[in-house]
Order: sequence, then C-alpha cells, then structure tokens
Amino acid sequence: MSYIVMECHPGYAVLLDEEGRFLKAANLHYEVGQTVTNPVLMQQKPAKQRHILRWAGSGIAAVAACLLLIFGISFYQEYMAPYSSIYLTINPEVRMDLNHHGLVVGVYGTNEDGEKLVEGYDARGKEKTTVADELIDRAIEMGFLSEGGQVSFSIDSPDDILFQEYGIELRSEVEEYLKGRMTITVAVFQGKYGYEANTSSSSTASASSSGSSQPPASSKPSSSASSSSGPAKGQTGSLPQGSGDSGYGDSNYGDSRYTSSNDASVSRPVRPSSAPSSSGNSSSGQKPGNSDSGYDDSDKNETNSDDGEDDSGYDSPESRPASQAGDSEYEDENDRDEDDDEEDEDNDD
Amino acid sequence: MNDEQTIIQQVYAAKENIQAADQLIGTYMPFIKAETAKFLKRLPIEGHDDELSIAMMAFHEAVGGYSRTRGAFLKYAAMLIKSRLIDYQRKEQRHRKILSLDAPTMEGDTTLGETLTDEREPHEEIVSRNATRQEIEELARQMQEFGITLSDVADNCPKQQRTLEACRKALQYARENPELLEDLLESKRLPIGKLTAGSGVERKTLERHRKYMVSLLLMYTNGYEIIRGHLKQVMKGAAAR
Repeated sequence: MSYIVMECHPGYAVLLDEEGRFLKAANLHYEVGQTVTNPVLMQQKPAKQRHILRWAGSGIAAVAACLLLIFGISFYQEYMAPYSSIYLTINPEVRMDLNHHGLVVGVYGTNEDGEKLVEGYDARGKEKTTVADELIDRAIEMGFLSEGGQVSFSIDSPDDILFQEYGIELRSEVEEYLKGRMTITVAVFQGKYGYEANTSSSSTASASSSGSSQPPASSKPSSSASSSSGPAKGQTGSLPQGSGDSGYGDSNYGDSRYTSSNDASVSRPVRPSSAPSSSGNSSSGQKPGNSDSGYDDSDKNETNSDDGEDDSGYDSPESRPASQAGDSEYEDENDRDEDDDEEDEDNDD
Repeated sequence: MNDEQTIIQQVYAAKENIQAADQLIGTYMPFIKAETAKFLKRLPIEGHDDELSIAMMAFHEAVGGYSRTRGAFLKYAAMLIKSRLIDYQRKEQRHRKILSLDAPTMEGDTTLGETLTDEREPHEEIVSRNATRQEIEELARQMQEFGITLSDVADNCPKQQRTLEACRKALQYARENPELLEDLLESKRLPIGKLTAGSGVERKTLERHRKYMVSLLLMYTNGYEIIRGHLKQVMKGAAAR
C-alpha cells in the first residue's frame, strides 16, 4: 500500500492511502506530495468528552445508591421486620411473624409437624386472618385437625393493645371460618407460653349441646374464672383432641338427675353452700343439691373430674369443654375443684 | 504545582487547536529529545533518526489521549513515547537486520548510506512530487472554504471498513450525478439529503463523517487527477461492485 503525504506537522503527517483513507502518521522527514510505503501510523482513540459525563454519572449513581440503601432499610424496618409473633398450635405448631401493621412477613414451623404444615406455603404480605384460615385448611387436609380439635393462638407482642386486638380478630375469624364445618375449640393466649387470655373459649360448635342454654353463671366466686389474663398455667402445646371436654361439662354428664337449669350442659352437682343452684340440683335428683353425695354417686364423674382437675385449680387450655358457655363452666370446674379438695375422698383427708 | 496546571491547560488547548498542538511540541522538544535519548542510549540526531519523529508523534498521541485522571501529563507522555519507540524498533527488526547507514562499507571509503541507490529519487519523481503537492495545496485551500483542514479529515475518517465502503457508495452516486458536485461547490455544504436519498446510505453515517465526505467529493471535482490516480485502483473496484 502506498500513501501520499498530504500535510506535514512537527509531530505528525497526514497521509492518503489507496483506499481513500486519511491517516495520521509519524513525520519521518516527509515532504508534502511525497509517496511513502512504510508509515508509522498514529493510534487514534475516541473517548474525550466522555470523561466528564462519566464522573457525573458515577456521582449520581453513588447518591442514588445511598438513597436506596436508606430507603431500603427503613422500608424493611417498617414492613418486614417482625414486630409481633403469633403461635398457632393445633398439634403442629407454627409461628407467624407479623410486622408493625399486622401483616404476616413469614411463617415457620416450630415443631416437626409444624414444618410439614408450612412447607411450600408462602404467607408474606397476607393478613393474619387469611393465613390462619389457610393454615387451618391445610391442617384439616393433612389430617392434623379434625372434628373436635383445638386451635390455639399464642400472641407474643410487645404491645398489649395489639395483643387484645389480634386475639379478638383471630378468634372471631376462625370461628366464623369453621362455622358449619367443624366443631373446634379456639384458645387465645398471651405471650409465647401463653398466659391464658380469655375466659370464653367459645367454639365453633355447630350443634352445641342442645341443653346448653347458656345460663348466666351462678354467682360462684371463681377466682380463676373469667377474663383474667391471670397467671393461668396455660400451656401451649398439643392439646388433646376430644370433644373439648376432658369430661367436664359434657352433656353426657348431664345425667338426667343432674340437669340443672343453671349449668346447662354441665351436669354437675353443685356445692351446697355456695351454690344457689343447688336447688336446681336437688330437683333433679337425690342429692339435695350439694353434695358430696352427688359426687359420690357419680363415680365416673368423680374420677373424671379428678383426672381433669388434677393438674391445677386453674383453667388449662385442655380442659375446655366444647359446648360450654364460658363462665359457667369455669365456675363449675372451680366448684369441682373445691369440691375435690374438700370433699373428695381420694384427694383429701 | 503551578507548572502542572499550566501544562494541563496547554494540553487541553492543544486538543482542540492544531496550531496550539504544534506549538506545544515545539515547546517540549527538549523533553522529547531527552526521552528518545533515554531509549536509544545516545543522543538523537535530528533529521536522521526516525525515532525522534516517532517520539514526536507519540507526544501528539499523548495530547489527544490525555485526561486529568491519568495523572501528570509528562509522565503519561513519556510512557507513550517509550511504547511507540519499542513498537517501532520491533517492527524494524522484523523487517531487516539493523545496519547503521553510517557504518563504513567493506571498501572503507564511504558509508553504506551513500551506496544505496534511492530508486525513488529520479527526476520525474521530483517533478511529480511537486505536481502532487500543488494539487494537495489546492485541495487544502478548497477545504478551507468549507471550514475543514486535512488534519480534521484524518480525525474524521471512518475507521471501520464497513463505514468506509458506505461512504464510497455515496461518492459513487455523486460521481454519477455531477450536479450534486456542483451543488457542493456552490453552496459550500454537503448535500446530505440528496446523497442519502440517492445512494441509500444512512443519513447518520454521512453526518458523522461529514468532513471526510466533503474532501472525498472534492477530490472528484476538477483538477485532482494525480490524487484520483492514486485512488483509482480501489475506487474502480468499488465502482464495479
């Protein structure tokens, strides 16, 4: 290839090649018009103005990155960092983490069955009630929850108000959800190892024991009764299935002789002294309403009640009869407890 | 560090302005010589050592490629000079074993350089060189009317083969439609619209290489036979395509 020298400068020359290209090359003592064959071509690079733009670009990028970081962190704190937890226990136990706003940010199984229950389930961003419903459905499908079972929620939140709110919400939701499908007991506790929260463990009973008109509780002073978030030795954990009663307040109990207007479903003899309902009892049967004898008679009651009451004088999650009106049964249990203590041959003396 | 700042300013001025660039080289000639001497391990002789010219070209490249991010200009220039000198030396060694033209011949009465017959120096060659130069000077003058210099064109020239051929296509169309060339001469502007429409070359390409296109078209107006002769081979091939 030959080149014509077109222009000469101290530092370089402009050459024209045979293909019509104009090129800069070293000026090896050239003269304009000369034809050369072995030029030393200059290497010409483009990038010039880009530098300024590049600086501006990287500056802006840095600022943007910082902003995103700050924003991201605050977003995380607000929406995703767990604030409260709710432990849903049937037999499997799972934990739902909620953010400040009550939306679920994650669910985790806390025991083996719990892990099975949540496997493949993505709860992020859902309402707690939705998640509860869906998990319950899953539990039913998987066979963890069936008729007469119990679902308890232990709500662990730094905020007391939230705890109340969530508790009410969850209870009503689940009851509503399972209404007409199944009879389930719902329990709500505060804190991970739930102090018992509510008295009424209403249930989603469809056919609650017919007998159970829910009479107002005869005024039995019940220390541990009622809406105390008192230090019940509540336990979370698997609850025995069963129709809620561990023998308490089952309509079965209600032998005819014991039907009392008061304790509708609970056919328990009521203690004489403190029980105005004794009259009711007496009407039904032999016992003059008080009684030991009442107890004696119903051995099975006795035993059952013993069994049931052995653990404590406090209400425990297990011992919640399915079809009871809340208060009354508490009182009954209390009574029974007291009865046991005092009058029970087995226990006392 | 005032010197540093002055240098940088001068470099940036030289980027834009060819005269400033030439001046800068003049100013730093001692520096360039010194760098070359470092490389050659002896003093460069002006007018004799090609290495000096190459170093000067490297200096030009440094002016073009320098930005503040690269640190001190002189260091950058020195580095570039060294690179180019190494490249050149390698190239020369590849082609032939280096003999100094100043070395004495076997007879010992003259230097090798004198014995070389320069085939490129017969009388006709000188004449044709002059004629060529005249054409070139005329071309440069005409280009000036468009606000273009040959150095500009060298910077603006397409680097890719593909683009080069596209420009040639446009040229071909202009050759076939001489009124376009007249247009060019009269209006002192490149008729891009017509060229694009007629040749099918993308407007963007022609705009990007406007200066080059002007000079190309100019060479095919009257009076540039020698230059055209130089190009003829390749251009014919393009025309035939």
